[in-house]
Amino acid sequence: MPMFIFLFLLVCYWLSGFGILTLFRIRLKPAYMVTLSLLLGVAVASFVPFGLQLLYITITGPTVFGALVLVALLLNIPSFLRMRHSGLAVFTRPFGGGRFRVRPYEVPYWLVMGFLIFVSVWRCYYLPPTSRDALSGPETIAEYTVREQTMINSFFGLDLWSTNNQFKSPFLISLQVIYKLAGFPFGQVWLSVVFISFTIFLYHVLRERLHPVLAGLLLLLFMMAPEIYAYTFMILYDYSNMVFFCLGLYFLYQGLVGGVGAGPGLGTAAGAGSGGGPAMVSFGGLLLGIATYIRSETLVLVVLFLPVIFWSQWKTVGGGGAGGEGRGASAGAGAPVPVGAPAPVSEGARVPVGAVLKKMALMGLFFLLPSLVGYYLPVQRYINHYLPVHYDIGTLVNNNLSDWHPLLQRYGDIVSKLLFGTFAIHLWGYLFYIASALFVAELVFVRRFSREACFWLYAIVVVYLALGFMGFALPMFNLTETTKRAVFKIVPLLLFYMANNELVLRLSRWIAGWEVKGSKKMAMGTVIGGEKAVAPKVAPASGKRGAAKAGGKAGTGGSGGVGKAGAGGSGGAGSRKKNRKK
Amino acid sequence: MKVFLLTLASCALVLVVLNAGYYKEWFDGKPRQYWFEFLKEKDDPGDEVAIKKSRYGVVYTISMRVKEVVEKKKMPHAIILFEPNSYYRDSLRIYNNIRAPEPAVFYYYTGLEGVWTNSPDVRKANFIVRITKNKGVTLDEIKSPQQLQQILDGFKKYPPIL
Repeated sequence: MPMFIFLFLLVCYWLSGFGILTLFRIRLKPAYMVTLSLLLGVAVASFVPFGLQLLYITITGPTVFGALVLVALLLNIPSFLRMRHSGLAVFTRPFGGGRFRVRPYEVPYWLVMGFLIFVSVWRCYYLPPTSRDALSGPETIAEYTVREQTMINSFFGLDLWSTNNQFKSPFLISLQVIYKLAGFPFGQVWLSVVFISFTIFLYHVLRERLHPVLAGLLLLLFMMAPEIYAYTFMILYDYSNMVFFCLGLYFLYQGLVGGVGAGPGLGTAAGAGSGGGPAMVSFGGLLLGIATYIRSETLVLVVLFLPVIFWSQWKTVGGGGAGGEGRGASAGAGAPVPVGAPAPVSEGARVPVGAVLKKMALMGLFFLLPSLVGYYLPVQRYINHYLPVHYDIGTLVNNNLSDWHPLLQRYGDIVSKLLFGTFAIHLWGYLFYIASALFVAELVFVRRFSREACFWLYAIVVVYLALGFMGFALPMFNLTETTKRAVFKIVPLLLFYMANNELVLRLSRWIAGWEVKGSKKMAMGTVIGGEKAVAPKVAPASGKRGAAKAGGKAGTGGSGGVGKAGAGGSGGAGSRKKNRKK
Repeated sequence: MKVFLLTLASCALVLVVLNAGYYKEWFDGKPRQYWFEFLKEKDDPGDEVAIKKSRYGVVYTISMRVKEVVEKKKMPHAIILFEPNSYYRDSLRIYNNIRAPEPAVFYYYTGLEGVWTNSPDVRKANFIVRITKNKGVTLDEIKSPQQLQQILDGFKKYPPIL
């Protein structure tokens, strides 16, 4: 019976997630569609018991599972309406067409990663939650929610002097409630859905940039980060927060580079026919909003990405030059302008400052709004108006903010204790060392960074600076627990940076060129993700991976590169210049 | 042939990672160990309580024993006072082996209300869990407010810690 309900839940997740992707008009490769749908579905489910509680509806099996079905159906209303014209193809088409070919040299990685996944899933299923942070808050609340049919239950009548975990996000409580109601006494298995979906998503992203030998290696290094791996079967907030934060930034970047045309990865294989710029940025904002719902301090990080949006908008619309390059390239390749994307701005066109500012404000608002909601509902609304006990975060703030010595000390400690050194190796393996070595090598030997590499480096620095500041401003944000777990957010960003490191890309191109016999063009400079280099049979231009072929023929840079102008992500400006010379 | 060579390269890279520095130590100590545990667990899954006992250890066992005793005594409103963990650490020096559960965690294990010596509700306590080196774990009834005060006075220099 639990297995049947587990499958039923997966279908609900898939439907809910698909509905959201459809609402944002995002069409991606099937591997992305499936994994993103499931991840979004888990996020939607995590709102359901919480939403019922906000509406004072009793939390029982029928109400929870009924609400899950209802939400899945509501999110798919546009798809149902389209069914009148297209039939069931509305649901099947986005998942068809893509062919995932496993090559023999991917198998060794997948064997080890499969082993790691299997062990993690078993522990998730078989063992009860153990972390003190879960037991002294969300897990106990979930257990008594199932018994008492309300999230505001007898737990809050206890002596809670020793814990503040009762104030943490309802994300964990809700998911635990769902799975306990489904017949899993320890809940938890939702975490395996998140883990597996994210791993597959990440692998496909890396594979679009790199040859599978390198993509597999990077993913293996990520999965073997001991601390992160432990959190794939130990329910807490940080792993899920990392997943949605990383996805949010990924789609933010894709939205900023234009979604269809200029974006690496998504621009071709993944972003086929996707919603493009503003829609993609808003979708990134939604994912970051989910991350904020999971861990409220993520809001600070989200705000710090607003300058990137404003800068990008200014360059695209206001500047009329640099940003227009990508869009022009798309148009040049005959790629369709996505629904919801702004009209292309021809080079040199003047746009009134007011219009630019309005556009910037709107995009910023749509980007930030989900995070504001994700912060307001669980923190401001739920804690202050629903819980019988209150939490005054004001009393937790450092009252000596003018003394910056502890701030500098914290920055130093993060580097010396959490990112490098013996303790750090026990947490993340050698990932930070490898990424740092590649960064220095790129700095010394290449002396420039591609646009995408710059974005990921910016993201890493922003998270680092924000974590240090939060540790300084909130003394309870301690180094070895809270900050350590918050560093999770940096780790996948390291992967994205490494996948855009010019030296790694060159190595990838070299392997791809060597493998594809006689493909001199490829070996010389076509920036091709492993998938395309090894399997030139890519994609039709309608957004179904054909653009890449066109780009490849033109000798353009970037795995997402489309069109004659050679706008391509991975090669960045440098690659484009080289290609033009050629 | 090239695919074969790349496959060999992948195998080599996997082996290098699995045997490199701390990765080897971690892989042998954690995932590999978990695999051996899985082999045992799949053959003898055990019931929910047995799994919890083996996972949560002695604190869970003590908590469940307390629950049993309270149920036997038929005390529907038992509120259990725990000795401070700093007492186990500084006086009995058994903190590494045993510790009192947090009230929230104790509630998760047993459904019973527990309090620490500094709890606002400590005056409601009517049982105390005592852990001694000789007698082991005992559950004593607190019969009067005076007795409770005496107990609390005795623990004044031991603040509750996790």
